[in-house]
Amino acid sequence: MVYIVSWDEFVDRSVQLFRADPESTRYVVKYRHCDGKLVLKVTDNKECLKFKTDQAQEAKKMEKLNNIFFTLMARGPDVDLSEVTGKEPMETQPTKKGRGRKQ
Amino acid sequence: DDTFLKISIIKIMHRPPNKFSPPGGFRRADHQIPYLLCDSREKKSLQCLRICKEYSSEVLLQLDPFLNELTSMFEKSKEKGSVWVTLKRSSLKSKLQKRKLSSAGESIEYRCLIRATDAKKTISTSVGAKDHQRFQASYATILKAHMTALKKRERKDRKKSTEAEKKQGTSTTTKPKKL
Repeated sequence: MVYIVSWDEFVDRSVQLFRADPESTRYVVKYRHCDGKLVLKVTDNKECLKFKTDQAQEAKKMEKLNNIFFTLMARGPDVDLSEVTGKEPMETQPTKKGRGRKQ
Repeated sequence: DDTFLKISIIKIMHRPPNKFSPPGGFRRADHQIPYLLCDSREKKSLQCLRICKEYSSEVLLQLDPFLNELTSMFEKSKEKGSVWVTLKRSSLKSKLQKRKLSSAGESIEYRCLIRATDAKKTISTSVGAKDHQRFQASYATILKAHMTALKKRERKDRKKSTEAEKKQGTSTTTKPKKL
């Protein structure tokens, strides 16, 4: 089984796979404490995407992916993910005005 | 009783029927395990199920008991073993029920089915649109607390140590390395 190297590619393709077939796509996480290994798998029983790591920082990224999948699966594949990923903020912050000296 | 596959048992056999071979091959103890020959109604074919400890039943729990059991699974699997957690979208209804609902014009409510196993037992729970955020938070806490064997990034340590080398000319690390 070929593992995907890029995290972002794994996330994009997984979400795509789920949206294409929400009925049969599943997301599996396997953790082995004795080996310190974490393996993620997303499959629709036709195609399989896998990602493995032994890094703690990838576990933090996995948490975000967990949130994405919880939202997609509980609410539906058509859910707008911008709230979950935080990539597109709803409102842009107002620009700070430069400090002008009162004269 | 909601079952995905309706099975009616035809007879109990003490040896596997001739054309049957269990997935993964025969093992020594196989002749001691009773076999059930059954008619699976959904698939309309004869299937043979082997009763053995691998075919343990999956326990469907409420959210909080599930989280507690998941925690104990992680704790038990520290020295050896793995913990698998699977997320899948499901309506928890059989094909027949789905057909009835869609023909009646009612929308099928989907939930997120979460399964956890440590190869000895399997637990599961389902989370709906209303409770998924609360569950997500507790679930993340459990994972963070238990996935501690993963390596921490040492780039920052190396960077600091190389900078220190340039300044001091000695190879000392500023942060203690994790074992």
